[in-house]
Amino acid sequence: MKKIYLLLLVFVVASCTKNFEDMNTNTKAPTKVPSETLFTNAQKNLADQVASINVNRNVYKIWAQYCTETTYTDEANYDVVNRTIPDNAFRTLYKDVLMDFKEAANLVNEKTFLPTEAGMKANQLAIIEVLNVYTWQRIVDQWGDVPYSEALDIENTLPKYDDAVTIYKDLFKRIDAAIANLDAASGSFGSADIVYNGDVAKWKVFANTLKLKLGMSVIDYTGLATEAKAAIEGAVTAGVMTSNADNGGLTYKNATPNTNPVYLDLVASGRHDFVATNTMCDIMNPINDPRLQHYYQLRDTSGNGDFVYIGGIYGASNAYNNYSPFGTALEDPTMECVLLDFTETEFYLAEAAHKGFTVGGTAESFYNAGIESSILYWGGTAAEVTAYMAEAEVAWGTSSLTDVQKIAVQAWIASFNRGLLGWSFWRRFDYPILNPPPGVSYANIPVRTIYPINEQTLNGTNYTAAASAIGGDLLTTKLFWDVN
Amino acid sequence: MSSMGLYAQKTVSGTVTSYDDGSAIPGVSILIKGTQTGTVTDLDGKYSISAPNEATILVFSFVGKETQEITVGSQSSINVALKTTAIELEGTVITALGISREKKSLGYSTQKLSGDKVNTVRSDNFINTMSGKVSGLQVRTNNNMGGSTNIIIRGSSSLTGNNQPLFVIDGVPISNDNTNASSQRQGGTGYDYGNAASDINSDDIASINVLIGAAATALYGSRAANGVIIITTKKGKRVTTGKKYLGVTMNLSGTMGIVDPSTFVKYQKEYGGGYGPYYSGGDHPGLYEYDFDGDGVDDLVVPTTEDASYGEKFDPNLMVYQWDSYDPENPNYMKKTPWQAAANDPITFFDKAWTFKNSIAIDGGSDHSSFRLAYSRLDQSGIMPNSHLTRDNFNFSSSYDLSDKLTASATVNYAKTSGLGRNSTGYSDNILSSFRQWYQTNVDIQDQKAMYELTGRNVTWNYHDENLLVPEFWDNPYWTRYQNYETDYRNRLFGNISLNYKVNDHFTVMGRATTDYYSEMQEERRAVGSISARFGISRLDVQSGYQRYNRTFQENNYDMIARYKGNINEDLNVSAMVGTNYRSNMVSSVFASTNGGLVVPELYSLSNTVNPSLSPIEHENRIAVLGVYSQVSLGYKNMAYLDATIRRDQSSTLPAENSAYLYPSISGNFIFSQVLDADWLSFGKVRANYAEVGNDAPFASIYDTYSKPSPFGSTTLFSVPSTKNNSALKPERTKSLEAGIEMMFKDNRVGVDFAVYKNNTIDQILPVSISTATGYSTKYVNSGEIENKGIELSLFATPIKTTDFSWDLILNWSKNVNKVVSLYEGVDNLQLGSFQGGISINATVGEPYGIIQGTDWVYDDATGEKVINSTGYHDGYYKISSTSDKVLGNINPDWNAGLTNRFNYKDFSLSFLLDYQKGGSIFSLDQWYGQGTGLYANTVFTNDLGNPVRNTLADGGGIILDGVKEDGTPNDIRVRGDNYALFGWARNPNAMFVYDASYLKLRELVLTYKLPKKMIGESFIKGASVSFVGSNLWIIFKNLPDADPESGVSSGNLQGWQSGVLPTTRNFGINVNLQF
Repeated sequence: MKKIYLLLLVFVVASCTKNFEDMNTNTKAPTKVPSETLFTNAQKNLADQVASINVNRNVYKIWAQYCTETTYTDEANYDVVNRTIPDNAFRTLYKDVLMDFKEAANLVNEKTFLPTEAGMKANQLAIIEVLNVYTWQRIVDQWGDVPYSEALDIENTLPKYDDAVTIYKDLFKRIDAAIANLDAASGSFGSADIVYNGDVAKWKVFANTLKLKLGMSVIDYTGLATEAKAAIEGAVTAGVMTSNADNGGLTYKNATPNTNPVYLDLVASGRHDFVATNTMCDIMNPINDPRLQHYYQLRDTSGNGDFVYIGGIYGASNAYNNYSPFGTALEDPTMECVLLDFTETEFYLAEAAHKGFTVGGTAESFYNAGIESSILYWGGTAAEVTAYMAEAEVAWGTSSLTDVQKIAVQAWIASFNRGLLGWSFWRRFDYPILNPPPGVSYANIPVRTIYPINEQTLNGTNYTAAASAIGGDLLTTKLFWDVN
Repeated sequence: MSSMGLYAQKTVSGTVTSYDDGSAIPGVSILIKGTQTGTVTDLDGKYSISAPNEATILVFSFVGKETQEITVGSQSSINVALKTTAIELEGTVITALGISREKKSLGYSTQKLSGDKVNTVRSDNFINTMSGKVSGLQVRTNNNMGGSTNIIIRGSSSLTGNNQPLFVIDGVPISNDNTNASSQRQGGTGYDYGNAASDINSDDIASINVLIGAAATALYGSRAANGVIIITTKKGKRVTTGKKYLGVTMNLSGTMGIVDPSTFVKYQKEYGGGYGPYYSGGDHPGLYEYDFDGDGVDDLVVPTTEDASYGEKFDPNLMVYQWDSYDPENPNYMKKTPWQAAANDPITFFDKAWTFKNSIAIDGGSDHSSFRLAYSRLDQSGIMPNSHLTRDNFNFSSSYDLSDKLTASATVNYAKTSGLGRNSTGYSDNILSSFRQWYQTNVDIQDQKAMYELTGRNVTWNYHDENLLVPEFWDNPYWTRYQNYETDYRNRLFGNISLNYKVNDHFTVMGRATTDYYSEMQEERRAVGSISARFGISRLDVQSGYQRYNRTFQENNYDMIARYKGNINEDLNVSAMVGTNYRSNMVSSVFASTNGGLVVPELYSLSNTVNPSLSPIEHENRIAVLGVYSQVSLGYKNMAYLDATIRRDQSSTLPAENSAYLYPSISGNFIFSQVLDADWLSFGKVRANYAEVGNDAPFASIYDTYSKPSPFGSTTLFSVPSTKNNSALKPERTKSLEAGIEMMFKDNRVGVDFAVYKNNTIDQILPVSISTATGYSTKYVNSGEIENKGIELSLFATPIKTTDFSWDLILNWSKNVNKVVSLYEGVDNLQLGSFQGGISINATVGEPYGIIQGTDWVYDDATGEKVINSTGYHDGYYKISSTSDKVLGNINPDWNAGLTNRFNYKDFSLSFLLDYQKGGSIFSLDQWYGQGTGLYANTVFTNDLGNPVRNTLADGGGIILDGVKEDGTPNDIRVRGDNYALFGWARNPNAMFVYDASYLKLRELVLTYKLPKKMIGESFIKGASVSFVGSNLWIIFKNLPDADPESGVSSGNLQGWQSGVLPTTRNFGINVNLQF
């Protein structure tokens, strides 16, 4: 009997060890996937991060003072430590966006295309590259020096930080190369491209507009004057966005989890965390801005049927029922997330023209076009545009504001719902005058965000070098392009 | 062996039984005191001896039992019931692979607990009852109903892996998995579904042997690196030829738990709902002021949205509209009520907890067979309304001699656990987080109950406003309990079959197959009309939904062991063993949920989904390990022993070229009392051992696969995973060194067992955090080392011992010092988990494992004082460190101690256990938020100016915080105390809310009365006892306010953080034990 059992055991053991290695295969996850699936995922992750109003990952709509918090005012008071907000944003951009773009490009390169599809392959790689450049700029504009040349390499877990100016220089080169490779005669990602549905001509316009944006972002920094001028004028020559139809954005779905992230925080959560700011309302009310009705809702604060747009005191505790909440447009789950649009293009061009660049128009014409496209984008009418343009504080050349201050105010108002863009305009123009939170001085309003805590602990040596190179890892350290 | 014939002798006979269970004890030595003359009991415990005269004293002794001396006198029949000694330094213990060894022959630490140590106090999880009873064991008892209990032996050794010991029951390794979601373990939201070892029925436990060190566990292989809890279940008794035995044991018990008020919030009663004076511009800025009822006159209205009590000062003369004036069905509809503190605060929300556990066991045996059949039923209701847990345990074990040489035996256990309405844990969506952090002191919880019972609707105190009757942050807590309840079950079968073949007196062969199989289901519900919370697969906020998690677990083990035992010569004996083990594990799970809410209310079905369902999440993990092992033991003159083991494992989870690994252990001891001729020393032994244990990798950590996010509409998405796997992994290894000494003095009246040890776990296989600039957040590496060093001391004494009265003392004391020696090149911190509040639990090089990190105060270099902001950023408040990586505490206690006192007087015994933890830190999110929202009594006081601190600055309120300004001069900036910023999270560092987790508890108090034999007489009852049992009766001291420092969210590596924990209950119970 013993022998029988022994034999049985030997048999069981022998038959089991043969497939030991197979046993360690994860049968529920793939090792090979189509390149498009990673590209789409990176696009969505990028849009989610850009659109988000979630206090754990994107606080710039608050910092640009488009809204303030009602009860829990930590983020409006510039606390980014408790929720490790920089970590979450940094991780999303590197890991969920850039890494998936990189892997998508790898898979495109590995894929066998038909000889007739050579153009398609080049287009796919170029579109990925355009979005890489877009993402890198977003990263640099938040932190300054960041891991770049050694980033996205698992073999180097301690990537060094590159100088922000050097990165910008490289981005100029990369966008030029990508533009050169885009060929509207060939296809690209088709429906896997959830921004332009594979329309290469649109991507070319997007890429040129991005090039214009890169140039304008560093326009005040003399060290990149040559690159900036070449980029701005070159982009205009090649063709930047000319109408809202050119806007690059992602339209969300009606059902979770593919709604606009703003819907999640404003509607699905059932919370009431945000109201308009006194900053916005104090500027927009006197000039009868027609976008107020789209940005915010009226509030009857007195209970007497006296409805007004009223903003809470920025950074202070604000009872939700006393102030204007966001407009209903932001509660739409399908609301588009704009990555790059015609309106901002026009404000870049207005500023460029004002600075004497050859951009095919006058500052005034671009300024007017920017305001018009913004109002129309938000659902305003031509009549509203006309009336608004007649406001003394709006019309070009009138009022106490300088031309640049005018551009600054209008670019800032128009960038509502695009927190980082609005905050960046403010950082460059230092205008309009924001409201520091109670107990906080103007000099303590952030002009940068701090590095992730994780970088301090996991990449300490490089972190320390970078912090020292930029003049301290502080919210108040100015980026190189923020020279005023 | 019979006595020499002497004149005038008389014959005495009788039976020796066990005091504990009445069973006969064979082999008891009976000596005539002062002589070498004596006898031993037979298999039925019977003896007969010739005593020289009536003054003769008989000495009854047996290993593991207290020695008894009885004067013969006129008796001719003397029956003796021997009690188990309080501490066993001798006797037999069950070691690795179920091998029974004499304890004195072991070269390593083990500690044994008899079954009554874990089944007298009734708990839903027997591990709770081990606290304080074993040296080197850290038990963190939980107070979630059916919740998971953390248990660690000799500190944490694995950086990211499992640090809980292996549970083995009758040779069957038992899954102790904790299936709580990772979000639950990190204090997010979710239920504590307990750890699977709680399925073991404590009434079936005959004894527990805790294998503490690596040498003890080396034969079990890698999984035993954290120690092994070996459980031996009760078996049927075998009796001598021609007789049969049948016995019935019944155990009936009931326990009532009452909330210990020292573990719940003490609310302030002077200010009501709100965050500060900013709701209106009038005399009562803490309240809204507008025309609520339309009579043209402005009214005062409570800001019901605010889940805080930093509002308007109470004034019963002030008539205000509150939440109860919003709902038409409320008696107070459209009525103003006085502004005052609630008559019933949330402590009245809790019910009494009831636990009933009843069991019946039948056992029997003949000379060639035995069996035991048992059934047990646990019925429990928790302190939360609508909470219920039941568990049915069936146990059958039997052995049968097929021939003189071949014995077949089998054990089968079936356990079914069903839960309903477990309490949610953590920060979000947890009623206790509301009570402890976010609440209005003006809300009478009994009014909430009345409204739920009246309407069946979610009538909450936290309405948005009268025009939008939806909850802002919190549902009516009764709605939550009765509508958003979870249910769960686990059906489990485990057991073994074995054949034991005795070739001859020296050689035996055993073959055994064991299985542990269970399927479990966890269903969670959110009723239509609830507040939004994270739910389902997407973890997005949704107001309603249904989710289910199904998991199947199976582990099979096949063992073949050959053993040899013999004597090389008269002085040297040898035992040797060679064996093989094949283990296979399979875990398969599916998690599915509705998406976007429920269409039809109260229909909890996956198809009842608003948006198309997302694909379920599937896992299927399979692991196999093939091991061969050998052990050789040498014994010299029952005085010196040497043991060596070696094991080779081959694991499926490692790369083929590294999949096999070998590890040895060696241990030895010397019983010096054999050579030391000292009367005061009755036993003395020194021991030492060295052991290595290898360990394999987690399933599928070699090859990369893509992760799959939910599709974007019809567009499929894939993503690069967060973790980079590693195809070059090699086994990790624990090296341990231990030495100890055991001694007994004064006729075994005093004993001591002392151990020192050092364990190093190296080449750990862990997903190390890396800079996310790499495109990944973690990477599998072989790296890192943890060292655990410590000392353990067990002391046993019987200070008083007379015929009727005895007093026993047992002290267990252990100290473990834990250090993370290294992590990964360039990385000196590994975040184990991050928690709400900005707190993280970390492994940091040079620090103990489990460092609490967060924000700290900034200290002035010159004065050492805390720095106060004075340069335009919240001046007057503390300056907070700019990063949250400051070391604030350490989750490991400095030391643990348990002291048991037992008094026996005739048939009464009284015992109590004091359980002490010294040190360890805990962060209280409850205080962090709850002080900020002004709930706690310590947020209301009179300031240095003699005014209420919550007065406005103009009215002399506020305080000047202790510290120096940024220029080093003493702080003179008065900060306002009239809004929520002052006390809690908003303007203070995490460090302020890290507390010392020390405690001293009266853990158990047991009074037992055993009905004497003469009272029972010759009835069919063979034995009966009744016990009055108390547990957690008194927290004698603790430094954490308003909560039990032991409370946590889950078992596992993430400890040291508290949020929304249940109060602890004081438990009072009665047990009746009957034997027939």
